[in-house]
Amino acid sequence: MMYNNEHFEPVITKFVNEPGCETIEFYISKENGYKALEKALKMKPAEVVEEVKKSNLRGRGGAGFPTGMKWSFMPANPVDANGNPKPKYLVCNADEGEPGTFKDRLIFTKTPHKMIEGMIIGGHAIGSNKGFIYIRGEWFKESRLMQKAIDDAYAKGFLGKNILGSGFDFDLVIYLGAGAYICGEETALLNSLEGKRGEPRLKPPFPAQVGAYGMPSCVNNVETFAAVPYILDKGWEKYAKMGTERSGGTRLIGVSGHVNKPAVYELPMNLSINEIIEIAGGVKGGKLKAVIPGGASAPMLTAAECDVKTDYDSLAKAGTMAGSGGLIVMNDSVNIVEATYTLLKFYEHESCGQCSQCREGSHWLARMFHRILNGGGTQEDLDYIAKICGNMAGQTICAFADAVTGPALSSIKKFRSEFEELVMKGGLKGIGREQSISHRVEGAHV
Amino acid sequence: MSNTTEFEIKKPKVDLNYASEKKPVASDPSPEAKPLPKVTIDGKTYEFKPGDTIMQVAERYKVHEEIPRYCYHPGMPIAGTCRMCTVEVEKAPKLMTSCSTPAADGMVVHTRSDKVLKSRTGVMEFLLTNHPLDCPVCDKAGECELQDYNYEYGPGTSNFKEEKRVFEEATTKKLSDQVTLNMNRCVHCERCVRFTDDVTKTNDLVMVNRGWHKELEATTEAGLTNDYQGCLTDFCPVGALTWNDFRFKKRSWFLSKKPSICDRCSKGCNIEVHSDAEVVYRYVPIHNEMVNGHWMCDSGRSSYNDLMNPMRVISPLMNHQNGLHSTTLQALLGELSIQLKNASSVQLVIGTDATREEAALLKDKFPSILGKNVSVSYFNGTAGVTSSADDKKMDNLLKMKDLTPNTKGVEEQGISPLSQGEVSSDIVIVFRNGRAGIPKMKAGQKVILWGVWNHDEIKTLSSQTVLGVIAGLATIEKEGSFKNTDGIVQKFHPAIVHKGGALSAHQVVNMWKSLN
Repeated sequence: MMYNNEHFEPVITKFVNEPGCETIEFYISKENGYKALEKALKMKPAEVVEEVKKSNLRGRGGAGFPTGMKWSFMPANPVDANGNPKPKYLVCNADEGEPGTFKDRLIFTKTPHKMIEGMIIGGHAIGSNKGFIYIRGEWFKESRLMQKAIDDAYAKGFLGKNILGSGFDFDLVIYLGAGAYICGEETALLNSLEGKRGEPRLKPPFPAQVGAYGMPSCVNNVETFAAVPYILDKGWEKYAKMGTERSGGTRLIGVSGHVNKPAVYELPMNLSINEIIEIAGGVKGGKLKAVIPGGASAPMLTAAECDVKTDYDSLAKAGTMAGSGGLIVMNDSVNIVEATYTLLKFYEHESCGQCSQCREGSHWLARMFHRILNGGGTQEDLDYIAKICGNMAGQTICAFADAVTGPALSSIKKFRSEFEELVMKGGLKGIGREQSISHRVEGAHV
Repeated sequence: MSNTTEFEIKKPKVDLNYASEKKPVASDPSPEAKPLPKVTIDGKTYEFKPGDTIMQVAERYKVHEEIPRYCYHPGMPIAGTCRMCTVEVEKAPKLMTSCSTPAADGMVVHTRSDKVLKSRTGVMEFLLTNHPLDCPVCDKAGECELQDYNYEYGPGTSNFKEEKRVFEEATTKKLSDQVTLNMNRCVHCERCVRFTDDVTKTNDLVMVNRGWHKELEATTEAGLTNDYQGCLTDFCPVGALTWNDFRFKKRSWFLSKKPSICDRCSKGCNIEVHSDAEVVYRYVPIHNEMVNGHWMCDSGRSSYNDLMNPMRVISPLMNHQNGLHSTTLQALLGELSIQLKNASSVQLVIGTDATREEAALLKDKFPSILGKNVSVSYFNGTAGVTSSADDKKMDNLLKMKDLTPNTKGVEEQGISPLSQGEVSSDIVIVFRNGRAGIPKMKAGQKVILWGVWNHDEIKTLSSQTVLGVIAGLATIEKEGSFKNTDGIVQKFHPAIVHKGGALSAHQVVNMWKSLN
């Protein structure tokens, strides 16, 4: 086959280009929809968890945690202090906010029932009767489409009481966030879901013990849920075979930036970054300069490093991460300092502000990059960037501080000459890029 | 609460408002007792109670004085956000926050390793980037945790060359009549937010916005509405929240700090009296888990103003030609003795703000001095409170209905309340210390005032004949004990030296005795 992998077949995107693919009728008739649910409901919950475990499905939200294992962490029969049974909640993380990532939106708009089916199966597997879909605040259209899909599923009896005569009840509710990037972090998401400030919680306790509304909860990504029906339908072996030894299946990669055909591609994981760029039509308008392989938080790679494979482990070995599958391609017209500043400005704006290092550090880095771009930088600044990053990474409640240091640290390590040029020549003006500087000066900071 | 609990108010051993004051764990000596788990901190092994966090174990055994902290406060839920208390735990990949990490058997902790100190230096540098370094004009200077920890852990210099964050509208923002906010100094520990959420449960404060421009605001236009606002200014680690009553009155390093007790209600909150040259500048609460926890109410906190009131009578006064005139105590007592001896009946009313010792002294010794029958009763004077049975909690924290400190202690002496709340004798002696009410008296009633009085109170007695005023010491100026509403007896010593002409009840009684 075209991707040099004889087992590969699109799991999620097979029909997304066909008209009407988002409707329940299309999903049932063409995609054999809700058959996996039928099968799963006849199995014991533990068997479903085992099936997912064996498929090597890993969380598609960014951290890559094995999904089956996460489900098996859920307590079997939780009780409160008085011995009364506690409900368990299944939460779908649809707060897709990572810059460069747009794969979940494709699932929402083109094949929502795959995700709904995955959630019902997940609910059956962990013994939950209620699911929440936490949708990022800006997705008005997508949330309406999802609500429509949920209504259709209720009408056909896939949701609600006694699903398909199995005695299993499952309700699904959507919840629109207020537009904070940090709410993609699972405990911040739970806080936001409860109506509190979207700030990550101190762990332990983990959501499997104390999650939404204090109840045991399981949070998974949209793409993770969308892969579940396939695993149940076609069997774990087929899914596992498509991937590498430690992570099964396919991945949705959102390729953006300087490529000729930016889009979401469903790909096997044994492809290198260079191959993916080739699939996306090759680099547009110049030579490849740098690639951010997994959403803005992933440290960037230089053109020379781009023959690395895109599975979780190979990317980790290369000092970056698979993240949420947002591949940002930059050609040689890009000034790396400027590009990094754009990301840092985003992080400065999105830090929740709980932890000292992250609140002050993300602000400091953005300001420092701004000064360097405007010609006020010094050589000591360049040395100090690494020191600030060293004081931030791994020191806070959640991984946000690490995410900030990803682009900042990799840019100064790998493209130091560009920083030095800006320092010596007096900023962007000195290298003839006034155009890009002007709009950054006014209103650059809130 | 048992009636036998008795202890002395003293400064906590750890000189910190924010320490839990945990005591070392005593092993159960019985052979069948399970051995307590052990944790190794900085090379020494300590026993702890299951459930203790690393910080609590370190506090039990005073490992290195203290682990630095901003967001942690023992009276509130744990946030774990300031990252100042991180310690190195062997086998853990990252530094752990000691405030939130439970100690485990066999855990090996380093609180001062290079990695830890480097992290703390990092936190200090970050916190100081946007903090205005204007300590000389900041009211918190001298008792500021940012200053203290910076001396110990800070980098000394900063590489922050950018412009500092300025909250122009919140540089001196009144959150209420009592508390002023300077947002520029805030280090975002959010103790204040958690205090109003979880301790007073009034939800007065909230952080708005995200990240570095996260700002503290009152949830409603009314601002702060709870009765414990002063506590916010106690535990605010920096000069962001300041108590208007104290703000810019005195530099903290001039204050002498002595423990005492608040006499504003029957709770008996433990306080520290902050004074300079025997002038009181403020009260702050001392931690006492059995009585007030870490807190005290605002009316108690402001009550030092009554004591420092220039209208307070601090020398003996005698009635002469229908006016009260300053005199010596000897002359006054001589005159009063004659009047009392000639009186047809004498009554002594003891306010429930007298100490247990004063009540006993007046009841047992006083009648024998006069050599005649004196009817003794007590008077509370708080609206709706006659005896300790009428006392009740006024909120979910500390405030009590009874606004005098020692109703139970006076009752304990076998004294009964003033019948009908009215006096009926020829001459009545009213002994009170500024907290108990003044009993109702008919016009022309001859009355002797004893204790803490001020001229405004005496003016309300214009239709009575005040024969004389014997100036007495206020609670924080004297020694004694109170029995609070829960039956806890608390002893206290003078926190300041009285500089006027007032004397203790013992001294007055002795002098009176020597005159006869």
